Amino acid sequence: MNEIIDAYSTPGTERETCLTATELLKLMDSAGIHRAVVAPEDREIAVNNTSGNDRILRMAGQSSGRLIPACTANPWLGRSACQELRRSAAAGARMLVLAPALQGFCFGDELPAELLAASAELRVPVYVHSGPHSFGSPTQLLLAAAEHPGARFILGHCGSTDYAADMPAVLASAPDNVWFELSLVRPWAAAAYAKAGHRDRLIFGSSAPRNCPAFELRMLDALLPVQDYPDIFGGNFAALLAEVQS
Amino acid sequence: MIVDCHTHWADCFQSRDGLDPSRWLADEARHGVTHALVLPYLGLLDDRLLRQENDDLAAVCAASAGRMIPFCTVNPFRKVEAVAEFRRAIEVLKMRGLKIHPWLQGVSINSDAMDELCEMAGHWKMPVLFHDGTPCYSLPSQAAMLARRHPKTTMVLGHCGLFEHWREAIAAMRGAENLWGCLCGPHLAALSEIVRRCDCQRLLWGSDFGFSFADVAGYRLGLLQSLRLNDSDYERITAENPKRLLGPVFSN
Ligand SMILES: [Zn+2]
Repeated sequence: MNEIIDAYSTPGTERETCLTATELLKLMDSAGIHRAVVAPEDREIAVNNTSGNDRILRMAGQSSGRLIPACTANPWLGRSACQELRRSAAAGARMLVLAPALQGFCFGDELPAELLAASAELRVPVYVHSGPHSFGSPTQLLLAAAEHPGARFILGHCGSTDYAADMPAVLASAPDNVWFELSLVRPWAAAAYAKAGHRDRLIFGSSAPRNCPAFELRMLDALLPVQDYPDIFGGNFAALLAEVQS
Repeated sequence: MIVDCHTHWADCFQSRDGLDPSRWLADEARHGVTHALVLPYLGLLDDRLLRQENDDLAAVCAASAGRMIPFCTVNPFRKVEAVAEFRRAIEVLKMRGLKIHPWLQGVSINSDAMDELCEMAGHWKMPVLFHDGTPCYSLPSQAAMLARRHPKTTMVLGHCGLFEHWREAIAAMRGAENLWGCLCGPHLAALSEIVRRCDCQRLLWGSDFGFSFADVAGYRLGLLQSLRLNDSDYERITAENPKRLLGPVFSN
């Protein structure tokens, strides 16, 4: 059995992300997921970067390697955002999460340039949440990816819902440094992306606890069998992580 | 009885099946769906097609032995034609409500023509269902303002805000007593929060089946069932509320 990796989950403490590490591990067990990325929750992404990163690093440190820590840094913090990324990466963070709507910038503008340069240097992939509408659209990410060829980007949610119409064109013209994460993408759309020839760029993610990993995986499996697409369900993401400098 | 309160009759079905709904119904029945509120599709994209589509949709639903309940569409951008077509759809075609997709149709929820259509709908006791969750024409808060201006008209958020405006949908439904919500679009955690915080008597469930041949009803019914609602809330959302919304149109 190939390893299934869930590229995004938010074991948080408030609002709709409440989930302990123990509960997350239980959800993973019931879904057959071996490892999962754990990312800071909304408040931590917006304002409490450092304490959020520390919480996640601690949680991952106690998981016998099953939880992969992601970190965040608000680009408005400028130099200190870069320092926070370097500090977190040195402590084990394997992915940088940006959420333009929560952090207050439009993806594609120059604000995160230094942070993206730092992520390129560390080979830490940058997960960018798409939506809501004006912030983090797939096309904004494509412009930024061309501008920062050394950085590696993961488009979270593939622009679901309202940018789904852009996705065939976006997938077809995406530069080599962009991957696409599938949480919130509906199973029939995910299957269409894979069958249009883009399986090497697609990455499974659940966004637990916003979604139930076992349910999403079961629905996906019906259209995109896990055993036929080991790359999408783990391989592509594992290859990205393998390059992160530690 | 399970009523799917957000479905479409799209041209892909019509080119395959003509005006015969049996295969469409069989796809829904596989998931236990017994009845559906059916919305237009092409007419939302091109108002030159909406009159014909209202005719076709009425005919398709008439062939469903009462299992499909048709909603018409009109384009409020052309007020005079919109008012006349709404009247025709209700009085002649016997359709049961109005669907507006302000984003696709290119009109704001807040407009003169929309006010007039909502008054008509209130007079006939016909619900108005909106696409929602998309700026700049289809925000839940925009629908709430309209609903407050027309307290006798029942309005429905067709998507409860989708992924990004579901908190706003909760506020909208709490702020306008005649605004209902169809659980069709938000993720599981959002659905759970909507059910927890909104008046359960005004919630519906929908799949958005019928845009294409994709089998979406199983997925969205699975999401609803993942909420593990108590029996009475599940029954309300899937059957009792739709019956109250649509009136005595169910034949079985
Ligand atoms: Zn729809």
